Amino acid sequence: MQSSLLRFIEILRSHALPISPAETLDAAAALDCVGYGDRSMLREALALTLAKSEREVHTFYYCFDRFFDQQLSDFHTDPDESGEGEAQGQPPTDTAQPEGAAGEGNGSMGGGGGASGADALELAGAAQESPALADLLDGELLPALLENERGTLSAAMRRAGQEAGLQNIRLFTQKGQYTRRILDALGEAAIRDAVIELERLDSDAQDTLRRYRDVLREQVRDFVDQQYLLNAEGHNSAFMDELLSKTRLSNIDRRHRDRVQEQVRRMARRLASRHSARRRPVKRGQLHMGRTLRSGMAHDGILFRTHWRSRKRDKAQLLALCDVSGSVAAYAGFLLMFLYSLQDVLPRTRSFAFSSHLGEISDLFRDESLERAIELANWRFGGATDYGSSLRDFAQLALDDINRNTSVIILGDARNNRGNPELDIMRSIYQRSKQVIWLNPESRQAWGTGDSEMLRYQSTCHYAAPCGNLEQLERVVDQLLKSLR
Amino acid sequence: MEDRTELANVDVIEQGFAELGYICSPRIATAVFLAARLRKPVLVEGPPGVGKTELAKTAATLLDLPLVRLQCYEGLDEAKALYEWKYGKQLLYTQVLKEKLGDLLQGAEGLAESVERLHGFGDVFYSQEFLEPRPLLQAMEQPAGAVLLIDEIDKSDHEFESLLLEILSDYQVSIPEIGTVQAQSTPLVFLTSNNTRDVSDALKRRCLHLHIPFPSVDLEERILQSRVPDLQANLRHQLVAFVHGVRELDLKKQPAISETIDWARSLLLLHASELDEELLRSTLNVLLKFEQDIEAAGAELPGLLRESAKAAAGRD
Repeated sequence: MQSSLLRFIEILRSHALPISPAETLDAAAALDCVGYGDRSMLREALALTLAKSEREVHTFYYCFDRFFDQQLSDFHTDPDESGEGEAQGQPPTDTAQPEGAAGEGNGSMGGGGGASGADALELAGAAQESPALADLLDGELLPALLENERGTLSAAMRRAGQEAGLQNIRLFTQKGQYTRRILDALGEAAIRDAVIELERLDSDAQDTLRRYRDVLREQVRDFVDQQYLLNAEGHNSAFMDELLSKTRLSNIDRRHRDRVQEQVRRMARRLASRHSARRRPVKRGQLHMGRTLRSGMAHDGILFRTHWRSRKRDKAQLLALCDVSGSVAAYAGFLLMFLYSLQDVLPRTRSFAFSSHLGEISDLFRDESLERAIELANWRFGGATDYGSSLRDFAQLALDDINRNTSVIILGDARNNRGNPELDIMRSIYQRSKQVIWLNPESRQAWGTGDSEMLRYQSTCHYAAPCGNLEQLERVVDQLLKSLR
Repeated sequence: MEDRTELANVDVIEQGFAELGYICSPRIATAVFLAARLRKPVLVEGPPGVGKTELAKTAATLLDLPLVRLQCYEGLDEAKALYEWKYGKQLLYTQVLKEKLGDLLQGAEGLAESVERLHGFGDVFYSQEFLEPRPLLQAMEQPAGAVLLIDEIDKSDHEFESLLLEILSDYQVSIPEIGTVQAQSTPLVFLTSNNTRDVSDALKRRCLHLHIPFPSVDLEERILQSRVPDLQANLRHQLVAFVHGVRELDLKKQPAISETIDWARSLLLLHASELDEELLRSTLNVLLKFEQDIEAAGAELPGLLRESAKAAAGRD
């Protein structure tokens, strides 16, 4: 069971639960306390030691139910009623099993044992003619199937799975291959040969034997399916996340949007926790002489308790300008998603959207959901890109508010349709602000080509960077947060 | 702590808590059981008013141990949480002993010998007598053990969390002037958090994590039955169904168990035998704490009322 706990923890880790060795020890100790008898108590006890947030508890339950149910259910569903068995109007092969079948409203409960026995008799009779079948009946597999020895069968299946390296399964296309390997290991080939031989002899027993073969195949398929879910799902989703974080944002398919949003939220959480920890670097500022003297009066004028002036923090301000014209809109969406997921650690943020002209959209984000807000911003300000007039609008709206605590982030491709770039305004923003960061979805090679004004604008920025995918975006935001501290 | 009969197994704990009026789910009982067995603190999370603090109080009553409570807030530091020197007493003693000093140093030749003689008296002023134990140290010093409740840990600073690490993993406190103070008997520790910020991973790793959600209909009815036994069964069914309906709405603050209990008590005072719209409108402010929420729920009242009447009829 110890090793099974370790397997389980391995699976939890693949589902993004960070479980340390210390927690593994705790879980083992908890196991010793509660024992394996009570399944629900075991579940709670492991959840208490292994899952450390509400989100993780959900993942935990999901994995627990899959992992441990699979171990139990093997015993119940082993050679379960096969579909064709019923279709042919025959009693299901496994009604001999004491529980389970009754719950499914199966009427032929009573005759069950007899049916299985009849099958055995029929096969034994056929075996007189077919040496392959006779061998089979002397072996282990078929008698186990006939007697419905679920324990033996699932143990054999698991052993075969381990030998075939089933825990290494990663892709769903490998399922067939593994199923085959396990079946071979179990000795399914012998049954196959026997069926062929019976077919040749045109024996009545062939249908019966075929039914047992199909039951076995189905069981192995289910087993492989479950193992795939447990072993590969977590890995694959981590792989998918990694892939998405490196894909150009504009190329990300709509159906992956939810996934990306979740990822952005996760990145934001990570950044937030990293930066909020550094939030109070200075707790003591200057000595507050007045208060120290006053409190000292109680102690005969001796300054026992010191009071400190906590340093007043500069009120940092963040202005984000986003191009929402067609080609850049997707990036703007992600940047804004990022900034607004970081509300807790970021200072006051005001956001502006522009394309042909510019307007403030901070309210939109406060009142509407993120997606709706981005949509509305698009609709309100979308059109042919004109950086000149947008900058003029910006100067009117916010230039006076820019001071040495202000960081300005501009996201756009700087393709100005050959209009006036209004470099003067950019320069005055540059001079007044603490920093100007320009994020360009295009790669550096494309800057300055065609109608791109990027090289000129770059001269008025403290920092300009391409930001094509989530990874780059995260890096930029990380840097921004560092610079704000 | 682990050999207490009150904590012998999960069922005993559940029963013991129920006798004290705290109806807990198996998960909570398992948490208490494991906390005592593994000697680990429990980090309790969940929305406000589901009985996080109450859990610690009940555990203290059940075990008949003192409850040491530390309320966290921003700026809480070790002087208020761990220990402090009794500066006033130290000062007073030095004043009183000033004259004594002359006698002691009589006959000492030169400065070196005087200092030598003073050294012989040790660090009298930095000893146990001048130490003011604050909640954390108090909990360590209880001879029979204690229940330590560190309330709303998420309100405190990051530094304070780090301070807790030593106490929570080894049950000891290091005082530079004296040394390490080991807990007389391992206390049962509960930390509560309302999730206003994420508690650090280091702290989480040392704790059992218990999340208490809003209770199920069944559990909430049992809680009500135990807390407000005079309430009629029919009204109780209706009330709980109604509260569960309200929790489905999009509200600023959802009503928790404590609000349900308050509401049940006020209905009892009003001699209500059945929920009706007028009664609801006049008492909704017990259940909901924001004007917007009251308005939002007010608009849905007839529907909610119908649903709850149906649910109650189904249960009878």
